[in-house]
Amino acid sequence: MTQSSFRGSLGIRHLVCGSCNGCEHEMNALNNAYYDITRDGWDIVASPRHADVITVTGPMTVAMRAAAEQTVDAVPLPRVVVAIGDCAAGVGPWAGAPEAGEGAGVELEAAIFVHGCPPTPDAIRSGLEEAGTILSRGDVARAVKDQKRER
Amino acid sequence: MSGPSHELDVSAFERGVSAECESGVPLGAYASSDAVHYLFLGARGAFALERPHADGRAATAFSATFPLFSWDEREMRDEWNVRFADLPDPRPLRGQDGRMPDALLATGGGLMHMVVGPVHAGIIEPGRFTFSSGGETVVHLDAQLSYSHRGVERHLCGTDALEAAAGVARICGSCSASRSLAYAQALEQLAGIELDPGVELARLVVVELERVYNHLADLAASAAGAGWGPGFARGMALKERAMRACRLGGGHRLLFDAIVPGGVGPSTLREPSELRATLRVLASSAEHYFAALFGNPSVVARWERAGVVSRKMARAFGAVGPASRASGGKIDVRAFAPYGAYRRIRVDAATAASGDAFARCCVKRDELRGSFRAIDEALAQLGDARPSAPKMPRLGPGAAIGVVEGPRGAETVAVHVDDRGRLSRLHVISASYRNWPIVAAAMDGNIVPDFPLVNKSFNLCYACADR
Repeated sequence: MTQSSFRGSLGIRHLVCGSCNGCEHEMNALNNAYYDITRDGWDIVASPRHADVITVTGPMTVAMRAAAEQTVDAVPLPRVVVAIGDCAAGVGPWAGAPEAGEGAGVELEAAIFVHGCPPTPDAIRSGLEEAGTILSRGDVARAVKDQKRER
Repeated sequence: MSGPSHELDVSAFERGVSAECESGVPLGAYASSDAVHYLFLGARGAFALERPHADGRAATAFSATFPLFSWDEREMRDEWNVRFADLPDPRPLRGQDGRMPDALLATGGGLMHMVVGPVHAGIIEPGRFTFSSGGETVVHLDAQLSYSHRGVERHLCGTDALEAAAGVARICGSCSASRSLAYAQALEQLAGIELDPGVELARLVVVELERVYNHLADLAASAAGAGWGPGFARGMALKERAMRACRLGGGHRLLFDAIVPGGVGPSTLREPSELRATLRVLASSAEHYFAALFGNPSVVARWERAGVVSRKMARAFGAVGPASRASGGKIDVRAFAPYGAYRRIRVDAATAASGDAFARCCVKRDELRGSFRAIDEALAQLGDARPSAPKMPRLGPGAAIGVVEGPRGAETVAVHVDDRGRLSRLHVISASYRNWPIVAAAMDGNIVPDFPLVNKSFNLCYACADR
């Protein structure tokens, strides 16, 4: 098979950093028969080593920080971090909580923020499509910088 | 629901807690700045036995006799400086500064150790599981959670108790509506108000919808654990339909803010007749699903004898909900201490005796049937009447306990409110917090590859256990 056969297919690894599991219900919905992302050649993968995109949820917690950083580092470059939900953007109900961080997406330098509490499966799908676009353009660093400027 | 709290001298306190643990229904324990509170469920609701802890005396660790308090008492020591003379497990309950305490290992000839987590394959929450096994056979499993510990109780303290409801609804996505109801009950009790029957019926619909989407997901996951892909796919499609019904009935796919102090949210039950029709079709699809799932001998064979919890063990660890009722337990808060609309619409406790994954799936199937029936009955009684808008007076100072039967068992919320209507202490005892130790214990003698199956037959949350 040629390189082009794989164009647009995404390996997606999900990482929970203190989420309430609401975002996980909607991430799981992407695999059900109604949203079925596998028909687009996308797959939720079991190892960060297999991933192009890493979706992160939750405000980040003190306990998860080291494991989360190691997991993102284990994803081969180029990779895109997609922040799912308000907590990951640092604007959820636990912003400022004693054991919570800045937001998983903020701390792990997400290139895309999908807002919502939780976002709908369709909103998450749009965020993942955008991740695919950034990867095919090859300008992940710029996308991360743009996000930082917007904040 | 809450009864009175009883502040007692030391010997009466110790006798009382022991007697309630022997013959009553323990819910858990927590500390506030000046007292320790042990919570129990009576036929008229929850009540607390209390004694001061700042008197310099070391407190008795009840977990030495009743292991169900192990997590509660470690948490009381770690976070509220309660001194215990003799805690059986002296390790901190949670990681500290990002470091998890050492796992408890079984050692001996031929035993090996395997650590899994906190990051797992698949879309699940973080936890660290340390297996001690002889070959494939698990001798001991130590489940260490707390990676989702955000400090939600301390974060919400000092905020207006009514405004904190939105935060309480977001402690855990999977049992949000049940916790919102327990929290609302506690505040309404402090305010001394009664609700319209229509509002109580609407709340019953909301929390039963929560049970429906959770139990359907649990059955689907249990099919996956048994290796039956089509059973997983069909179950998850049903769960999606249930989540859409939640949006229709509660205005949110996970029912966030569908129940608020003093009533229900503005999006709750806007289209009752459409919801009723939708759920009748869903209930019928669920029956077809049950027939396929429970009629599949290879699925049932995998469920049977997997993760057995004896009646004795379930009681010792204080298991609640389906985890207890699948092992012969009889307590369902809805039937044992009926609250709200459950006083008029009776729900029978679903039970099973074998204590394995099969029994837990049977209990959830039977509860799904009961939920569909209860919702249909509530919607019939409501007719086209819209629930009235929430009414909540200003709160005076005091403490109260709310407890409801969530999808995973008793969801308990204790609140202390100061004289300006702000939370001075909030404590959440989730069904998952109660049940996690029993999941670890259920693995003894099972093989390592059966962990997903055993785990999914409980399908507990981490977020509300870690808080």
